[in-house]
Amino acid sequence: MSKLTSKPPKSFGRRVFDILSGYEIAVVSFTLLFLLTFFGTIEQSWIGLYAAIEKYFNIDSFFVIPRNAAEKVIFFPLPGAYWVIVVLSLNMFLGGIIRIRKGWKKAGVLVTHFSILFMLIAGAVSSLYKREGLMTVFQGEKSDYAQSYTDSTIEVFAYDENGDRKPPLIVPNHQLRALLPTDTLTVALEELPFDLKISNYLGSSEMALGSEGETAKVIDGFVLREVEPEKEEEMNMDGCYVSVMKDGEELQELLLWTANPNPVSFVVEGVRYGIHLPRQVWPMPFEVELNKSVGEYYPGTRKASWFQSDVTKVAEGYSEDYEIIMNHPMRHGGYTIYQARWDEPEGRPFSGFAVVKNPSDKWPEYALYVAAIAMGVHFLVMLFRHASRGRSHSKSPAESAS
Amino acid sequence: MNNSSQLSTPDATPNLGVRWALVIIFLLIQFAVIIYAIKGSVPESEVRKVSGYQPWSEEVVAVAEKIPVQDGGRVKPFSTFARFELLRLHGAVSMKIESGGETRKITPTEWLLDCLFRPELADQLPVFRMDNTDLIVGMGVKARDRRDRLSFEDVSPGYDKLMARGKELTEQSDSRKLKPNEKQITEFAQQVLNYQALTSALDFARNGMQIENIPEGITNTEEFQTFSYWVEAFPQVREAVRNAAALNDGEIPEELRGTLFRMEEYIAKTRFGLNWIPPYDDSKEWRPLGRTITELIEGASNHWEPTVADLKRLEELVPLADEPNSEAFLKSFTEWQEDLTKRSEARDLGKGIPGEISYYKKRYFQKALGYFIFAFVISMIGWIVTEGTAAKWIQRGTAFVFVVAVLYLVVGIFHRSYVMGRPPVGNLYDTIPFITAGAVVVLGIAELITRRRLLLSLATSLGAAGLFLAFRFEYGDAKDHMDPLVAVLNSNYWLATHVVTVVLGYSGGLVACFLSQVYVHLRLAGVIEKNKSFQRFVTRAAYGIVCFTLFFSLVGTVLGGIWANDSWGRFWGWDPKENGALLIVLWSLIILHARLAGWMKDWGIHLACIFGGMIVAFSWWHVNMLEVGLHSYGFIKGGEVIWFFYLAEVIALVVGSIAYLLYRKEKAARKTS
Repeated sequence: MSKLTSKPPKSFGRRVFDILSGYEIAVVSFTLLFLLTFFGTIEQSWIGLYAAIEKYFNIDSFFVIPRNAAEKVIFFPLPGAYWVIVVLSLNMFLGGIIRIRKGWKKAGVLVTHFSILFMLIAGAVSSLYKREGLMTVFQGEKSDYAQSYTDSTIEVFAYDENGDRKPPLIVPNHQLRALLPTDTLTVALEELPFDLKISNYLGSSEMALGSEGETAKVIDGFVLREVEPEKEEEMNMDGCYVSVMKDGEELQELLLWTANPNPVSFVVEGVRYGIHLPRQVWPMPFEVELNKSVGEYYPGTRKASWFQSDVTKVAEGYSEDYEIIMNHPMRHGGYTIYQARWDEPEGRPFSGFAVVKNPSDKWPEYALYVAAIAMGVHFLVMLFRHASRGRSHSKSPAESAS
Repeated sequence: MNNSSQLSTPDATPNLGVRWALVIIFLLIQFAVIIYAIKGSVPESEVRKVSGYQPWSEEVVAVAEKIPVQDGGRVKPFSTFARFELLRLHGAVSMKIESGGETRKITPTEWLLDCLFRPELADQLPVFRMDNTDLIVGMGVKARDRRDRLSFEDVSPGYDKLMARGKELTEQSDSRKLKPNEKQITEFAQQVLNYQALTSALDFARNGMQIENIPEGITNTEEFQTFSYWVEAFPQVREAVRNAAALNDGEIPEELRGTLFRMEEYIAKTRFGLNWIPPYDDSKEWRPLGRTITELIEGASNHWEPTVADLKRLEELVPLADEPNSEAFLKSFTEWQEDLTKRSEARDLGKGIPGEISYYKKRYFQKALGYFIFAFVISMIGWIVTEGTAAKWIQRGTAFVFVVAVLYLVVGIFHRSYVMGRPPVGNLYDTIPFITAGAVVVLGIAELITRRRLLLSLATSLGAAGLFLAFRFEYGDAKDHMDPLVAVLNSNYWLATHVVTVVLGYSGGLVACFLSQVYVHLRLAGVIEKNKSFQRFVTRAAYGIVCFTLFFSLVGTVLGGIWANDSWGRFWGWDPKENGALLIVLWSLIILHARLAGWMKDWGIHLACIFGGMIVAFSWWHVNMLEVGLHSYGFIKGGEVIWFFYLAEVIALVVGSIAYLLYRKEKAARKTS
């Protein structure tokens, strides 16, 4: 019989460490993440992918209440997935890397934890620093900017005496996104002799001809109406009314709509200005010239079989040719350019390139290779150990004795 | 340990009668749920009487099978095209009819031959599957049952109203906003139109121009009545029409107008349907004759000669089909097939046709299904006959038949992959035989290591269930799953790595689920209560398979992320398909860590594994039904059968819970005594 010894009491710090690094936290975190992923998936069929991501998985989502299509609550409130992953990462670091018993037997588990943690960090870096947009270029033309898929900004610019646009001043998206339809925002942009009063900002709207008895404000015969949001966020068009204000007096009221390709003009103090509500523009440090854009469909179908863009990238007097095809993007200088769209309206082929700048672009790939090897080796060792033990156990007592 | 005594000492367990009664009741309920789900999705098969049906000879059918047809973006055999057309319309790959007092089965190739060459017989065949005939009976369509298979003759009385309603619904609204009943009507109307495109494709050759007043001076009246004659003479006809109109104040003479109407009708009838004539130019698209003729008339093409030559050949061939098994028809039809094949091969297309015909003829998966069922039956006998030489032979027999089944399955997958020219898994259908193969091979290897027979029995049942699912899905989906993949999926590297690993993860999850179901049923029956070693073995096996699932699901999921990063520019987008795979990973991690935390022991692991089966089903199937996200190429409609699978698993969880409660109660009783 072993001798009973009393262990010294654990310090507070040690107890906190034990809790934070324990399996219990891991199980609870995995369970929460499981529930969040499940509800965040089924809710997509009602509110769409973008809205579900915003609700469940974004950094500013601290608590979520799962709801069904009729907006009824279907589960208890849950913490936001981002923060659950933060707790899980901490737990994995403390338990799976610091606390874990070190040795050959556990080497696979240790390396796996390290790799998965690295993968989660890659995700965090990506969610904080990744930028993406869409660059549309017609064959034979160039482009040096991409546009956001979902975020709109207000751009105001003056026209010079030749009718050319001067560099625009911008009301950023984060200011607009926060607006409710009932809110009013007055923006004073430096260098402009007037203010802009933005009202009735709608995230999903249509511009329509104003009819008789119209309750909405009619501007030049058009009104802005709120429409049911589409599940694909990029299909939702922003819209708002903007009043041009000078010394507290409204000079003119304008209607802006993202899908309207032409800026609206107005004159203040004899200078003509243009204003519009395009998707946020993201200037690139290089130009992309589309030399050839090829799209093929399987014969007799509208099923895409092949997209290819032959481009020249021009930056600071240096140019280089690239071939961009599906699954083979162009990577250069921290930017990655993917073939995202292709069409040939009226015989003019164009390519839509997804442009992404992601500092952690390749990290998950490196982490996976390491994790797969480590986990595979660990499980195989366990399997062989178990199989050999099983064989010795399955021997009859007589066999064992001999 | 003696294998034969694995399920031993049942007499030591109290309430044995009640336990067995519960097991039988729950098994019956699970079985009833599955049967109900299957029956609910299949209409009753009815043998229809068709007067004067003369079957096609084997020679004609063999010739027809080899005709190259372009469909779904690839060139495939006539037999494959017929198979999926019939599946789409009929919901099965054959139909039974009674003619001349004899019952016979009509294959897809025979049916398509009827459509093309004998539409008057095809119209009598019960080809249209309709799950809710109440929607169309009011229009005049004749139906015998709510869920029925109708012939074109049944549809004819309500044809006009059906088409008008279908058109109205299609025009009035976005198809996504149609109600389910409205969708059914538009789909049914479309099916009828598709069918008509096949049956009227050769009307021009069958009926000719039917010109009543042949002008004087026409010596070859037979040729004058042919469509090809008028197509060939079209430039002159056009000139004549212009001249006649100029002379008659813009009016076209009556007799000429009738002929032009007839031409228009034939061009319209041949604009859709079968694409069996390779183009005469460099175009990759095979066009039906009607479109080729339209291009000629509009001046977009100049291939008058070959077009007219093909029309003439068909005009010679079609009347010969009045004697379907005559030497003359066979000879002419063979020449037509050989010519089409030669023209197709000259374009380097259709070379895989013999391989594809052979794939379908070998019926690998049907045979594998038969052998799995046979192996399962023998293995069940093996659990009854546990001693003596007979038991040994039964065990060997089970293993042998199982190996034959696995070979059929694996060779079938390879043959299919070879025909498709890509890795074996590229769409939802492909995953079913592959997952089944993964599951049975894993269980087979585990059986080799452990030699407990349980895993072999489970493998046989899973093999049968998986292949049965493959058939049901193929019939329900009615799509040719060998058709080429969309551009983004067109990567053999990613198909061979990401897709294969992720579906192996599904295999593991399902194997663990069913193994645990066996465990809880055995525990409820009380037959392994005293056999702790066997209990431990099953639990360890389930746990090992969870590790297998975790490994493949995690690697597969992350590989999918890397692929997405190369295709779409983002590693992870919380898309339903990605989330589904992540759910399996998370569930496996919960099991592993909960066991390490001491929160989950044998019962917990098994109940979690059963629940895991539902997660695999959600990830594998259900996410495709949500119709949201970037994986739009994988979306499926319907699939409500999955709810019955969930129900069956819930019943298994109830079985497990009852078994656990009984175990606890009896353990407590033993302690107090």
